[in-house]
Amino acid sequence: MPTVEMTFFTNAAMKCRCFLFTFLLASATFSVQAASDEDAWQILQKAAVAAHALSYQGIFICQSGQQSKPVQIRHLFNGQFEFSRNVVLDGSPREVLSQGRDVVIYNPKNEKIVIEKRRGQNMFPAILPTDLDSIKASYLVRMGDAERVADRQAQVLFLEGKDKLRYSYKFWVDTEYGLLLKSVMYNNQNEMIDSIAFNQLGLINNIDLDWFKPKIDGKKHYVMEDEVSAVADNHASPHWRLKELPVGYVKVDQMMRTVRGKSLPVTHLIFSDGLASVSLFIEPIENGVKPRIGHSVVGNTSFHSSVAGYLQITVLGEVPEAAVAQIANAVVFIK
Amino acid sequence: MNEQISALADNEIALEDAEHLMAAMQPNSPSAEAWSQYHLIGDVMRGTQTLSPSFKQNLMAKIDREPTVLAPNAVLVSQTKAHTFSADMHGKIPVAWSIAASFAAVMVVGWVVLQTQVTDNMKPMLAEAVTGQQASTLVTAEAIPAEYLMAHQASAPSTSSYYIQSASYSE
Repeated sequence: MPTVEMTFFTNAAMKCRCFLFTFLLASATFSVQAASDEDAWQILQKAAVAAHALSYQGIFICQSGQQSKPVQIRHLFNGQFEFSRNVVLDGSPREVLSQGRDVVIYNPKNEKIVIEKRRGQNMFPAILPTDLDSIKASYLVRMGDAERVADRQAQVLFLEGKDKLRYSYKFWVDTEYGLLLKSVMYNNQNEMIDSIAFNQLGLINNIDLDWFKPKIDGKKHYVMEDEVSAVADNHASPHWRLKELPVGYVKVDQMMRTVRGKSLPVTHLIFSDGLASVSLFIEPIENGVKPRIGHSVVGNTSFHSSVAGYLQITVLGEVPEAAVAQIANAVVFIK
Repeated sequence: MNEQISALADNEIALEDAEHLMAAMQPNSPSAEAWSQYHLIGDVMRGTQTLSPSFKQNLMAKIDREPTVLAPNAVLVSQTKAHTFSADMHGKIPVAWSIAASFAAVMVVGWVVLQTQVTDNMKPMLAEAVTGQQASTLVTAEAIPAEYLMAHQASAPSTSSYYIQSASYSE
């Protein structure tokens, strides 16, 4: 009899201990996982800030589709303003100069150099926004291994879309400087579609600005790009409204702009999920112009054209086809 | 496009989702023709009495030939007559009529079954006619239009677009 009782108690105690152990193990794993996610977001947050707040120079390779270009970068933060000069080293000597959000591109075209103005956003290595909330809503982060890039030690991080409406990224972040060293974008078939990576990088201490100017070619004419005028427009249109947008995408801008080859101004809306941008163009179908319908994907860019009532809808962006289609379908024609 | 027109003719698309179809079906456009053809096909399949192709022209011609009525009182008189007639007939439909009606219903069902068997042979012919028409109303765009891509890159440039110009750009 005592043996039976003993066995019973031992079993019960073991079961209890076993349960406790499992529970502790599970909660420990859970908190390690949570901590790891939080750490990963911290690393990305640091990378977002470092790209603006550090002064550095180096060479990175930008690859998109079949094309690949080496680019020399020098970035300076003097405690107040940001300056950067990026020179394409192979082929045509394109130069991209930026001061804060203002970007000017010196683009050699035949015998001329065309000066183009752009809005600065997600310029490598500053491709992440400093506020990561929008990204946290649409992407999951996962810590990878430690790897070496451009003779620097890097932590690998995976940023994966929570759905099929955005591409995924793999980031390599410098463990010492916190800078983004390499970024690769994958489509939903897990094929690499874009890649940008330092193969040389160093910090600089000199705050001189004598380098912040384009290399002038005296034999060429410098001309401003054809005026691509755009005027901010935040009025609700009587002709259309937007119904549900794809998850995670918010409108970040709306303007009236002239589009080459169009006699009437076109409404241009920009949507973003924090990393990728999509443009929506809405215009009335002009008399005698055949409405355009179709879709395609070229490299990293998806495109969708459709008709809503008397309106021609054109959507394009560096996102999967499903996202541009959903944005096109969100436009409702008002009779 | 024509598939959608067909679906609209069959009430498979809600009217509010068919605005683009309405826009495409301008009078005398191939889409408008497709629209009436689908209705004709649908009527034949359902066994509905179809009208002759020149029905509209014949009707308009007959209306033109009608003498102009210059005595509005006549209209009033005929309305009163019609009213009396329906009052008299109310609740007095002969039994024989309802038998005739169900006989007609059986005939219609038989006709529909017969027609459904026939339509399978018609399909390839239709598809051919329809694709030929589509091309002239809408432009099927399969490439990313460069002017929109440029506008997109000017206001929302992607990371690689600062250094690499897409092949769609015209130099």
